[in-house]
Amino acid sequence: MSFTKIENRRLGEEYFELQHSSGLKIIVYPKKGFNSIYASIATKFGSVYSRFTCGGKEICVPDGTAHYLEHKLFESEDGDAFSKYAKTGASANAYTSFDQTCYLFSCTDRFSESLGILIDLIQSPYFTEETVAKEQGIISQEIKMYEDSPDWRVMMNLFQSMYHNHPINIDIAGTVETIAKITPEILYECYNSYYNLHNMVMTVVGGVTPEEVLKVADEKLRPSEKTDAQVIFPDEPYKVVRNYTEQQLPVAVPMFEIGFKEVCNTEFASTRELICTSILMNAFAGESSSLYRLLTDEKLINSTFGHEYLEGPGYRAVLLSGESRDPALAAEMINDAVKALHKNGISKEDFERARRVVYGRTVAGLDNNRSIAAELINGEFTGRSIFESAEALADVTVEDVNAQLEKELDADNSCLSVIKAID
Amino acid sequence: MSEFTRRNICEGVNFASITDDRFKLGRLSATLITPLSKESAAANALLSCVLTRSCKKYPDFTALNRKLDSLYGAALYPSIRQLGDCQALTLTVTGLDDRYALDDEAVSSQLAELLCSIIFDPNVTNGKFSDEDVEQERRELIESIDADYNEKRTYAIKRCIEVMCKDEIYSVGRIGSREDVQGVTHADIYSAWKNLLSNARIELTMLGNTPPEKAFDSFCGYFDGKPRKFRYTPPTPVTPGEVRRIAETDDVVQSKLVMGLRCMIPQTNEDIIASALMSAVLGGTPTSKLFMNVREKQSLCYYCVSRVDSYKGLMLIDSGVETDNIEKTEKAVMEQIELLKSGCLTDDEFDAAKLALKNVYMSSLDSLAALQSFYIGSVLQKEMMTPEQAAKAVDLVSKDRIIELANTLQPDTVFSLVGN
Repeated sequence: MSFTKIENRRLGEEYFELQHSSGLKIIVYPKKGFNSIYASIATKFGSVYSRFTCGGKEICVPDGTAHYLEHKLFESEDGDAFSKYAKTGASANAYTSFDQTCYLFSCTDRFSESLGILIDLIQSPYFTEETVAKEQGIISQEIKMYEDSPDWRVMMNLFQSMYHNHPINIDIAGTVETIAKITPEILYECYNSYYNLHNMVMTVVGGVTPEEVLKVADEKLRPSEKTDAQVIFPDEPYKVVRNYTEQQLPVAVPMFEIGFKEVCNTEFASTRELICTSILMNAFAGESSSLYRLLTDEKLINSTFGHEYLEGPGYRAVLLSGESRDPALAAEMINDAVKALHKNGISKEDFERARRVVYGRTVAGLDNNRSIAAELINGEFTGRSIFESAEALADVTVEDVNAQLEKELDADNSCLSVIKAID
Repeated sequence: MSEFTRRNICEGVNFASITDDRFKLGRLSATLITPLSKESAAANALLSCVLTRSCKKYPDFTALNRKLDSLYGAALYPSIRQLGDCQALTLTVTGLDDRYALDDEAVSSQLAELLCSIIFDPNVTNGKFSDEDVEQERRELIESIDADYNEKRTYAIKRCIEVMCKDEIYSVGRIGSREDVQGVTHADIYSAWKNLLSNARIELTMLGNTPPEKAFDSFCGYFDGKPRKFRYTPPTPVTPGEVRRIAETDDVVQSKLVMGLRCMIPQTNEDIIASALMSAVLGGTPTSKLFMNVREKQSLCYYCVSRVDSYKGLMLIDSGVETDNIEKTEKAVMEQIELLKSGCLTDDEFDAAKLALKNVYMSSLDSLAALQSFYIGSVLQKEMMTPEQAAKAVDLVSKDRIIELANTLQPDTVFSLVGN
């Protein structure tokens, strides 16, 4: 087994990848002169993978199962991983998103030991009635913390109002009621279906060599059988569920998020589509845009205003969000600007400025081990590659971006989510 | 990575730099440090926001942002910190290193010029900053103060400090109050600018691949070497009386508990590190006493974290819990503090906290933002430390010293935000 080197001359960067005989894809991205190393193992299994078939059986799990599994995987028969990391000094964590679960640590010393702990962690599930029950209280408090978070609520309310059937409309952590139904058997079922090495990727970024990583991998990784797990998503209509949703929470500044739902006919977007969308949104709603100026002059937004692209298996939407004294008026002006944008397209000047912004931020991401790791993981799960973006940015044209606009920002298919103060 | 160098421009003005080719970005900042006061905190804060909104050369928000965008999405922003009873106003510009520009432009020298322009040549006419800039930034600053209430964890911590330190300068906070910001006049902002430039302690930093000489020379040209008023006065230690208990109710699902304690104000670098380590042992890591007992053993919460402010001699412990469990959680936290005071600290706990803290310091060497923040955080200490020195100092802390420092912990205020 030997590593393949992937390099980019423009950026002076390189990384190495290897399909390990155990089934795990390994990517090592050495950062010369760095003290810290950021290592992660991710599985393509997140909260939206709530219904699937595996080995001829159809399985449907309670909401919040992927996240619960993430918490419980830290425990194995010989103790919990945090205590093991405590002996090496690594700072460990994990997260569950809509479409993946990731286990990670960062360290500046004793890397090989920590990597061994990480690999053991994902290979040694240990769920009992007792350990599963113990987590109910902890995760219930995590869920309640999010219930009080206007940032989180404004987003989840939006997804519930955009999506009829797709499980992106369900909270990642589930509810106190749904997690009460989780059993060790359910956790094992998910683990056995999706935590096989063929469905996972290991990324190591920082002051490390491919050889150091491979040595631990060879020692620790046990060959894994590929499964035929297949997620089932219900049919999702193009149209949003409703155009408006609001919730009252104890807030002093109301918040809003607007989503423009899109057609989703491939599992993931291509690098080019992402780049074009990014340029489009920067030109349309970035800090130097006329829309930003207009909304600021009207005192309708502040520096929390921003945009992002929601994109994953079965869902795609452009999102704009922020705090506003008058969310309805802000949304009205944004919708008017969207209509004008479709009429006029992006100008060459705005395009060029936005292209530079997106290029600069893409390159800037390479200063951060964690954001490199996130890009590598996403790349592995979506068929994109980390250096493609910088290259695409060097030759993308305003025509490409305006063509992308045709597929996006449908003013007749948007929803406004508002969090306002309690009456 | 080059050695860290710090040069004196004139009394009270220093220029620190690290030349390092590992990074794609460069980072240049100016920090103005001034004593915190109820009268000037809001004007200073508002000034730092107004300065980053425009300058003579780019006289409005859109013009300035178009310039930043054309420099590959460079960022220019204020950040305001409280260092004990001082206010530290940092203006940072960060952008792509020249090596990665698509058209071979000199990005870094333009960014250095821009930082100088916004500080020394702002958009002032006849002793007045632009009306529009001031009103927009005032609105945004007030909205950001209001928004602290949106996030209940932030709000509860802020309230605990307000209650605990209500008779101390410290409670002015890094920005001042909503009313203070509301009341700032044009004259206040202008005199804040004049005063800070001539009297504040000024710390300039330049980090990244570009050699600092040119920027250093141009900064030198702006300072006349006249004596500056700034002198650092550490906060006076406070001995708490009976524990103050404040409970507010609100429409929240989860209640918040914040416990404020006083502790010794460390006087030496050794003790600054030792207090950080004491906090790490108690509630700073996933194997800390609070995490292992309050969360893992008793399943009372998702988070229960301690942090210490070495400048002030103050520790905050905060958690989100069921309303019915507020008292039980407070008791559980106090129990862990008492255990630590009585010397209950295993080698495993001690070693784990040391390793975790060293990891934090050593990791900061890989991030320009973290390096800058570490530097600003330490400039008012008697002796400056680098992250490497801090990491080395961790190893020298004894268990006994941790226990001695824990024994200076005295509960002062318990704030709870109670769900109804």
